[in-house]
Amino acid sequence: MCRCLHLIFAAAFATHAAPRGEILPKSVTLATPESRQQLLLTVYENQVQRDLTRLAQWTSSHPAIAEVDPAGIVKPRSDGQAVITGRANGVEATVTVQVKGAKAPFAWSFRNHVTPVMTKTGCNQGACHGALAGKNGFKLSLRGYDPDLDHDVLTRQSLGRRVSLADPASSLILQKPSFGIPHVGGKRFDRNSLEYRVIHEWITAGAPPPSIQDPEVTALEVYPAQAILAPGAEQQLVVRAKYSDGRVEDVTRWVKFTSADEGVATVNDTSGLVKMTGHGESAITLWYNSKVLYSRVTVPYPHQVADASYPRRNYIDDHILAKLKSLNLAPSKPATDSDYIRRSYLDTAGVLPSAEEVENFLNDASPVKREKLVDALLEREEYVDYWAYKWSDLLLVSSKKLRAPAMWDFYNWIRDSVKANKGWDQFAREIFTGTGSSREKGALNYFVLHKDPIELTETTTQAFLGQRLTCARCHNHPLEKWTQKQYYQMASIFARIGQKQGNDPADTVVFAKTSGEVLHPRLLRPLPPTPLDGIVIPLDAPGDRRVPFAQWLTDPKNPYFARAIVNRIWGNFMGRGLCDPVDDIRATNPASNEELLQALTRDFVGSGYNVKKLIRTILLSGVYQLSSEANATNQNDNKYYSKYIVKRLTAETLLDSMSQVAGVSTAFPGMPAGTRAMQLPDVRIQSQFLDVFGRPPRIICDAGERSMDPSIAQALHVINGETLNRKLSNPEGYPSLVLKLGLSDAKILDHLMLSAFSRYPAPQEKADLLAMLDKARVRNGTPQAQLDSRRQAIEDLFWAMLTSKEFMFNH
Amino acid sequence: MLRLDADRTVEFCDGFRRRDFLHMGALTALGLGMPDMMGLQAKGAVDPSKKDMNCIFLMLVGGPSQLDTWDMKPNAPAEIRGPYKPIKTNVPGIEISEIFPRMAKHADKFALIRSVYHTAAAVHDTGHQMMQTGRLFQGGVEHPHFGSVLGKLKGPNGDVPPHVLLPKPIGATGGNMPHGQTAGYLGKTFDPFVLNADPSDPNFRVPDMLPPDYLSALRVDRRRDWRNMVDKTVSKFETSQDARLLDSTFHQAYTLMSSQKAREAFELHREPEKVREKYGLNRFGQSCLLARRMVEAGVRFVTINMFETVFDEITWDIHGSRPFSPISCYRDLVGPMFDMGYASLLEDLHDRGLLSTTMVVGSGEFGRTPKVNPAGGRDHWPNCWTMHMAGGPVKGGQVIGASDEIGGQPKDRPVTPMEVAATVYHGLGIDLATELPGAQGRPIPIVDRGTEPIKELFRS
Repeated sequence: MCRCLHLIFAAAFATHAAPRGEILPKSVTLATPESRQQLLLTVYENQVQRDLTRLAQWTSSHPAIAEVDPAGIVKPRSDGQAVITGRANGVEATVTVQVKGAKAPFAWSFRNHVTPVMTKTGCNQGACHGALAGKNGFKLSLRGYDPDLDHDVLTRQSLGRRVSLADPASSLILQKPSFGIPHVGGKRFDRNSLEYRVIHEWITAGAPPPSIQDPEVTALEVYPAQAILAPGAEQQLVVRAKYSDGRVEDVTRWVKFTSADEGVATVNDTSGLVKMTGHGESAITLWYNSKVLYSRVTVPYPHQVADASYPRRNYIDDHILAKLKSLNLAPSKPATDSDYIRRSYLDTAGVLPSAEEVENFLNDASPVKREKLVDALLEREEYVDYWAYKWSDLLLVSSKKLRAPAMWDFYNWIRDSVKANKGWDQFAREIFTGTGSSREKGALNYFVLHKDPIELTETTTQAFLGQRLTCARCHNHPLEKWTQKQYYQMASIFARIGQKQGNDPADTVVFAKTSGEVLHPRLLRPLPPTPLDGIVIPLDAPGDRRVPFAQWLTDPKNPYFARAIVNRIWGNFMGRGLCDPVDDIRATNPASNEELLQALTRDFVGSGYNVKKLIRTILLSGVYQLSSEANATNQNDNKYYSKYIVKRLTAETLLDSMSQVAGVSTAFPGMPAGTRAMQLPDVRIQSQFLDVFGRPPRIICDAGERSMDPSIAQALHVINGETLNRKLSNPEGYPSLVLKLGLSDAKILDHLMLSAFSRYPAPQEKADLLAMLDKARVRNGTPQAQLDSRRQAIEDLFWAMLTSKEFMFNH
Repeated sequence: MLRLDADRTVEFCDGFRRRDFLHMGALTALGLGMPDMMGLQAKGAVDPSKKDMNCIFLMLVGGPSQLDTWDMKPNAPAEIRGPYKPIKTNVPGIEISEIFPRMAKHADKFALIRSVYHTAAAVHDTGHQMMQTGRLFQGGVEHPHFGSVLGKLKGPNGDVPPHVLLPKPIGATGGNMPHGQTAGYLGKTFDPFVLNADPSDPNFRVPDMLPPDYLSALRVDRRRDWRNMVDKTVSKFETSQDARLLDSTFHQAYTLMSSQKAREAFELHREPEKVREKYGLNRFGQSCLLARRMVEAGVRFVTINMFETVFDEITWDIHGSRPFSPISCYRDLVGPMFDMGYASLLEDLHDRGLLSTTMVVGSGEFGRTPKVNPAGGRDHWPNCWTMHMAGGPVKGGQVIGASDEIGGQPKDRPVTPMEVAATVYHGLGIDLATELPGAQGRPIPIVDRGTEPIKELFRS
C-alpha cells in the first residue's frame, strides 16, 4: 500500500487528537559556512496536509550555532548542535540541526555553484547565451552541460572583460546581469543578491576552473515527495542535492520547477512554491544539474464517496482501489456480459464477436465463463494478427525503406514471434544479437531499416525503453536526465554493425565489424559504449558490442525495458497508459498509479516476460470489467481508471468490424481476397479509409503517429465514401442475405444488434426501431419496387448502426 | 438534433447539467453555442457592431531566408548578401528581392516587419507553434491556432466551417512536436476543417463531399435520422469528449453537404482557366485561389501550408544539401511559386472589394543564418526574420522594424511571436484581454497580459 494512504489512515484515526506537526527535512547537517536549509512546517489534519512554513514563528535553541530566519531558512554560525522549533496555529514541531565546518575555509566551485547560478538565472538558456549560435558573440553551453567549455569562454575569450581578476566588480558577467551596464537580456539579479555574491567571490578567489575532483551531484531528494493538499493550497518544495563526497545541500534556489499538469497545480519557478489550481494529481518536476526528480501533489475530488469498491479479481484491483479512495472517486458499476465480450474481443484480437459467439456467451451459466472466454480468445489467429500489427507499428514495418520481400521477412518474424508467445526479452535479443542473412532471420531487417547509429539509438531507446533521447543528440536533454555523453555512449553500441548484399537484392547480411566509431561531436572522439545508466564496455573490448547491450537490455534489473512494454500493453486495454503517452516514460512523466505500474512490471519480469500472461491478468482484473458509464463522481476522471475509458475503434479494427457485420471483405491491392486490414503487413498498401481514420505512416517511432481524433473527413467518408456504401449494396453481403432468407424485421434487428453491438435490443428500443422500419415500408407498387424499397431500408438500417457511436467506439 | 429526452439530469463539474449540455451540444455542432456567443459579446470580447474581419494566413513552411527575400543587404559581403539582387517596388524606398517581381507591384498593399525573432530552440516545430498560436507549448498545454480562437469566439458564418486549413497539415519537420495547427486546449471541435487534397490535382475534389449516384438525397436524410434513432438509446457516451465530437463531426459534415454555397466554394473548376493559371498551377497557387473562394463563401480564417514537410521536397529550408533545398530553388521554383500565388491573391481580393475585410499574413517559422554555409545554403536562424501583413486594417506601403547590417539581429523594434499574435487578434477585432477556458476551466489569456499589438501597422 502506498505511503500516502498510510498518511490518510493515520490522519483519519487521529481525528480527535491534536493535529500532528512535522518539520521537513527530518535531519539537517550544515557542512560549510555557505550551507543553508529551508525548513518546512507541515501539519496533517482531516486527510490532508497543510504547509504552515510561511505562517510559522521560527526559533533556534542556540542562535549562536544555527540561526533561523522568519522564512524558515536556517544558516550556520558556529559548530555544534541546535534545535529549531516552528510554531503556527497551535502546532509545534522541532528538528535538530548539526553544524560542522562553520569556520572552515570555503571556496565557490565553478561546477557546483557558478554554473547553477547561470543556469537558474537563465544566462545559458536556449533563448540567450545557451543558443547554438550564442548571443552577441557570447556563447555558453545549454543549461551548463559543459562547464569546462563555459569556463574557457568566460575567462579566456574577450580579453578578460567577461571575468576581470584585477577588478572583479567590473566583470561583464556581473555588470550585465545586474544591469550595471545595459543588457539586452534585462536584469537577471541584484547587486545585493546571493547570485551576485557567488560570482563575485568566485572571481575574487581567482576564478578557479572546474576540476575532475569536484564532487558530482549523484541524486536529488525533494520534500515533500508527495502531498495531499486542500483545494487552492500552497506548498513550498525543498530540494536537496546529494554529492559524491557524501555532502547534502539545499539547492532549492537553483532548481528548475515545472508542473506536469497545470490544470491541477502551478509552480513558481523562482521560489518552488506550488499552488493547487484544480482537483486530481500533478507531478512537479525538478531539474538540477541534469538530475531530475518529481514531487507528487494531490487534491482529492470534493465528492462524498460512500462505497468506493468493486469486486476484486487480482492484485491490480488493490492498487486501483487504493488510488480511487485517495482521490474520492467511486468506480463505475461492473460491466455487463455484453460489454465484456465486445470489449475483450476488440482489445485483444481487433475483431467483434459474431452473433453466435455473443449468444453462446450470454447463455453460458458457468461462473468462470469470462476466464474461458479469455483463454479461448488468446489462442485465436486474430490475436496473432492484432499483436503482430501492433509490434509492426512499433518497429516501423513498411515498404518505404524495405524491399517487399524484406518487409515480409520482417513482418513474418514478428508474427511468428507473437504466435509462439516469445518472451519479450527473447524478442528483443533476437533483434539485437542476430547476425547473418536477413532473409533467414527476419529480425535483422531492423538494421536494414535503421542504418546509422543515430537512428538506431533513437528508435531503440524509444521502442524498447520508452525514452526520448533526441534532444541529447546536440546537448544535454534540457528537461531530462539524459546527457549528450550518454547519447553518444549509447550510439557507440551501434557503431560497428556491418552490412553487405546477400544472395538476392532483398537479402542483407548483418555482421559485427571490428572497427568503426561514432564521434562525440564536441569531444571529437568516440566514447566507450554504455547503455543508459549501464556498465561501460571498453572501446577495445573484442566482440559484438550489441551482445552486452542485449544482456543489459533484458536484465531483470533493467529499470526501463519491462516497464515500457508493460505500460504499452496496459494502455492498449485501458485506453490510457499508466504513463501517458504510452511511449514517454521518462522520469519527469510519472505514472498515474506508480505502485500499480511497479507491481505489473514485477509480475511481468517474474513470468519470464510473458506477454500473453500479462494480457490475461489485465483482461481478468476487476478494473477491466468496469462499466464505461460514469457515475456522479467520476465523469471527469480519465486518468485513474474509475471507469472503462471509451475509445474510438482504430482505423483497422473499424474497417474490419464493418466488413464483418456487412459480410463483405475489403479488397486491398496486391493482397488475397478476404485479407483483413489487421492482417496487412505494410502501411503502404493503399486504403483511403485507413488513411482517413488515422493509420500510422510508420515513419518515426512514436505512438502519436496513430491519430484517433474524429474529423469531418471521417464523417464524410462513411456518409458518402465508397468503402461502407459499397459493402452495404454488395449483392453478396448480409443485407442481401437476410432478405434472401426471408427473415422478419424483428429477426434481422436481433441479429444485427448481436453482431454489431454484442447485445439484444432493449424492448422499447426494439419497438421503436421496428416501427421505424415499418413506416418505411412501401405497400403499393410492383413486387419488385416493394422488394427494392425493403432492401434499401435494410441497407439504411445497417448504415445507421455501423456509423453509430455504440459501434464506432469500444466501451 | 435537439435532444430533450435525457433521462435524468446530472451535475457536471463546470456547473452545466447534462440536459443543458445536450441542448447546447446541438447548438454548438458547428463550433459555437448561443451561451458562448452571447457571453462573449456581453464580456466585450467580440464587438458585434464591427464588421467581421477575415484572415488568410500563409505558413511559409521551411523558413524563408530574410536576406534573399524581403530584407536584402546588397552592401554586405558576398557570403552574407547571397546570390540575389534587390528590385524597386511601387513604393519608393521599399526594395525586395528580384525573385518577387509581381509582389513588388503591390508594396502599397502590404507592410513588411523586418525584426521578428523568437528565442526557442531553432527547430521548425517551435516556430510553427509560436507563429500560429503566439506561444511555445509547455507543461503539456497545446495552445489553439489563431483561426481556432476566431472560430471559438465568432462561430461559423453560414454553412461553411469558420476555419479551413489548406491543403494538408504540416507533417514531420524533424522536431517531433505539435505544429500549432489544431485547436489545442479548446478541444477538437474547433480544429480547422482540413482539405486533405491537392487543389492543383486535375481531378481535384474534396474527398467524399457528395453522396454517390446510387444514394438518393432522400436516403441520405433517412440514414441520418435513423442513425440518431439508434444513437439515442445509449447514454454511456455522454461523458466522453471523443464521442461528443464524433456527433459534432457528423453534424458538420451534413451541413457542409447540404449547402450549395459551401459545396460550390470548393469547386475550383468554376474558375476560368486564365484565373487558375494566374495563381500558378501548383499546390500553393491553387490553395491561394481556393482560399479566396473560401473567404467569399464565409470562411473566417484560412491557413495555407505552403509545404507539407521540409524533407525531400523543394522548400524554403535551404540548408544547401540534400534532403533539404539549395539556395537556387528560390529563383527557380519557390520564389516564383510564392510570387504568383501571393500577388494574384492580393489583386483578386482587392478587385473584389474583399481586401479591406481580409488580412493576409505571411511568415516562416524563422529566418536563416546571415552567413552562407559551406554547402552554399543557409541554416535555421530564429534571431531575426521578416514577415508581411496586408489587408483588413493593415496600412500597406511601410516597413516596420529593421535588422542589423547583416540581417542577423533586430536593430529597431524587435517583434516577438506573442506580439504577432496580439497584432493578428487586434486586426481581427478581438479584445486582447479575452480569456479562453483551458484544462479544468482554468482561464488562459489569448496573449500574455500587457502584450501590445504592432500599433503602427494599422490605419489609424
